[in-house]
Amino acid sequence: MAVTPPPGPPEPTVNLNDPQVVAEKIQAALPDAVESASAQGIVIKREKILDVARWLHDSADTQFDYLHNLTSVDWLDHFTVVYQVSNLTRGGAPITITVNVGKEDPTVPSLTSVYRGADFQEREVYDMMGIRFEGHPNLRRILLWEGFAGHPLRKDYHEPYYEEEKKPFGSRWDKGHHIPAEDRNPWHDNVTYPPHFDAAAYRTPPDEIRTFDAEPITATRLRTDKIVLNIGPQHPSTHGVLRLRATLDGETIVAVEPIMGYLHRDHEKIGERNMYLQNMPFTDRLDYITSMANNLAYAVAVEKLMGLKPPERAEYIRVLMAELTRFMNHILAIGFIYNDLGAFYTPVIYGFEERELILDLFEAVAGSRMMCNYMRFGGVARDLPEGWLDRARYLADERLPRRTDELEAYLVKNELFAARAKRVGILPRDKAINYGCAGPVLRASGVKYDVRRAEPYSIYDRFDFDIPTGTLGDIYDRVTVRIAEMRESIKILKQVIQQMPAGEIQTGKKNYQVRPPKGAVYGRAENPKGELGFYLVSDGSPNPYRYHVRSPSFINLGALNEMAAGNKIADLVAILGSVDITMGEVDR
Amino acid sequence: MTLDPFMVMLLDVLVKAIVIVVALLGAYAYMTLAERYVMARVQVRIGPNRVGRVGPIAVLQPVADAVKTIFKEDFCPANADKIVYTLAPGLAVAIALLAWAVIPLSPPLTIAGYTIHFYIADVGIAALYLLAVGSLGVYAIVLGGWSSNNKYSLLGGLRSAAQMISYEVSLGLALVGVLMISGSLSLVDIVEKQSPIWNVVWQPVGFVLYCICAVAETNRVPFDLPEAETELVAGYSTEYGSLKFALFYMAEYINIVTVSAIAATMFLGGYQGPFGLLPGAHWLLLKIAVFIFIFMWMRATLPRFRYDQLMRFGWKVLLPLGLANVFATAVVMVLLGR
Repeated sequence: MAVTPPPGPPEPTVNLNDPQVVAEKIQAALPDAVESASAQGIVIKREKILDVARWLHDSADTQFDYLHNLTSVDWLDHFTVVYQVSNLTRGGAPITITVNVGKEDPTVPSLTSVYRGADFQEREVYDMMGIRFEGHPNLRRILLWEGFAGHPLRKDYHEPYYEEEKKPFGSRWDKGHHIPAEDRNPWHDNVTYPPHFDAAAYRTPPDEIRTFDAEPITATRLRTDKIVLNIGPQHPSTHGVLRLRATLDGETIVAVEPIMGYLHRDHEKIGERNMYLQNMPFTDRLDYITSMANNLAYAVAVEKLMGLKPPERAEYIRVLMAELTRFMNHILAIGFIYNDLGAFYTPVIYGFEERELILDLFEAVAGSRMMCNYMRFGGVARDLPEGWLDRARYLADERLPRRTDELEAYLVKNELFAARAKRVGILPRDKAINYGCAGPVLRASGVKYDVRRAEPYSIYDRFDFDIPTGTLGDIYDRVTVRIAEMRESIKILKQVIQQMPAGEIQTGKKNYQVRPPKGAVYGRAENPKGELGFYLVSDGSPNPYRYHVRSPSFINLGALNEMAAGNKIADLVAILGSVDITMGEVDR
Repeated sequence: MTLDPFMVMLLDVLVKAIVIVVALLGAYAYMTLAERYVMARVQVRIGPNRVGRVGPIAVLQPVADAVKTIFKEDFCPANADKIVYTLAPGLAVAIALLAWAVIPLSPPLTIAGYTIHFYIADVGIAALYLLAVGSLGVYAIVLGGWSSNNKYSLLGGLRSAAQMISYEVSLGLALVGVLMISGSLSLVDIVEKQSPIWNVVWQPVGFVLYCICAVAETNRVPFDLPEAETELVAGYSTEYGSLKFALFYMAEYINIVTVSAIAATMFLGGYQGPFGLLPGAHWLLLKIAVFIFIFMWMRATLPRFRYDQLMRFGWKVLLPLGLANVFATAVVMVLLGR
């Protein structure tokens, strides 16, 4: 039975999710800031973007308090910087704001003074596209190293060792004769150092405190020297190859600066070389814990671009997979928080026990346990095998609820855990929104926002579930919110299994080479770690013209300094664990 | 043939010392194995099951581990203080072994007119000696952490210094109650006086205090801050490898046996059986084994304290409790006229 969602806030009289309406309002408040407006988005004059953003953020009318996504597109003759903003209380689809900027010395005013979440994203655009952001306090490369020649997402940057720009390659394994790709490649010497760069004489820059706005801890009685401690990239609890440059005063953290990019593979450039469907298995590698949910988000984005609607059964299967993934991710996330707190692997391994059962289900249906590659545009790859639903029913009805109760009883009600987690790593509500945090991190700070409710995709509007929120935004809240979300996932799973219809699993015939119509979309889904968005630009060819991933881990990490400063170093790893990042998604 | 009594005593002590050291090293080797099995059981795993298996137990695993450790490269970080860096692990083990000089393992045994005492020395101030030797242990860790020239090691060493000094105070106070009841500092006397009723009956608070402090003294979960893996990589032993690392590890495990033995001796009647049943070394070994199991169980179960919480707990909870316990013991003893 379809269940109507609980009533949200009353509908505003004017639809503020309509770009044209918003554009008129901007025009009224800030004359000649708007270049043009359409249903696709609003184009703002480059010089005015900061004023417009500040007005949109502060105006009582619009109150666009959340920057979803910030990226850029190279249009050969100019660049476009793309912003997606919305109001979290109103929900709905974010509106797109774009700024055009010329190729010669491209500069755009920085939005970091309005949206702090723009910090990392502007650095990423600077790194990848070479657009400078005026007024950004810390405009350095973020994913690539200082000294990297060129900006890889520009269209005139050609990747070495690939014979062609776009897949499918024409001459691969021509008649069985393999010629090494680098011999055919006209760009094989594309890896260059900057002029006058002498690798032998290069010294890493000295340690200095370079965080966004580190507040000095002045409460110490003694005059002490601060030490800079590099935590990672080889460290047991950085969840991969993340480096945290922590400035310490004794054991107290003064500032933390996440340094990333050790796992960077230029996912977006590779995504632009691939065909649309080839990116489906590639999204598995973003957040390798939640590959099914990544698949769903990407499928949602491409289907939005293509105007495709999957059949009923496929939609139910998709939701089933996404919620199993959410449960699995959260049980692991909670286990790893305990690991970071020093409970040596025991909770994680109990989490793995449940995960194995869920992965068995994934393996049965997708053929792979972690890299599922299961969703397709307009459907799913394979139908459920016989007996699969019974196994899923056993999990949803008996095993997973029991394990969730056990988890809560043994882990969350543990005094040692409460002592370590309560009032530690607090992220206040307004800061969480301003930093662009998403998912459990945002909800633990008391923001009742979930893409499944704010802009329902797939068939989430049919199910009855709540959005759990925390109050304080500390580690404890992040754990309890995750546990509550696991319960909600089980609730959805039960409804899905009960209502699962028979029928087709794919709209139309299977198509390996889709050609979406020209256009741009921002498609998003509520991943276990937060809002996973794909900004796709199609030029009508089989390859995406622009393929940008709004990665929740990456943007949540931006608030780490805010959460960690003033706490002890032992808390830092626990806070990092409670943010729940996967480096595959952070570094892309 | 007449034997020079001094030579007999020397031989006696030498044999006992060698036996105890060898036994402790063996205990260390098989404790690592036992710990792996205990943790595996707690974590729904199988545990070691490849090397020299007898039944389900991989009895040769410690041998394989030892061989592997010995053949690892013995390195020293470039800017380390080489002498101290090399000395620290040896110091750790030496200090850990020292305590065993005074712990009585079994009631005396008379064979062919010669009485064998199952302790190396019955020192009049054995309890004080134990505390003194226990405090030395921190030197090895601080020196190791400091000499490695690594920030993690340094933080680990500093934490260790603060933690061990804080908890030693409470550890000493926890034992004071026992010493007051026994009226002696000799461990042999203390054990003998626990027949038929163990000290734990008279000193429950002291026992609990001692157990908590003992865990902190041995740097084990939930007080394993000096080597907190997820924070400080490996704390003071980050830069140690090969045999030097194994020595630190050995010291930690011998310390576990030591504090377990002290707990059994001071509070649980040492080699006395319950209600005086069949006294003998087996009782002491059993009690030690139970303690060691609890150590492993805790390691597999509990998260760790934070540094400031640990210090607050030590100074603001344990120390006042220990003092109150001593005071209460004294008042009761005066009232009972003993």
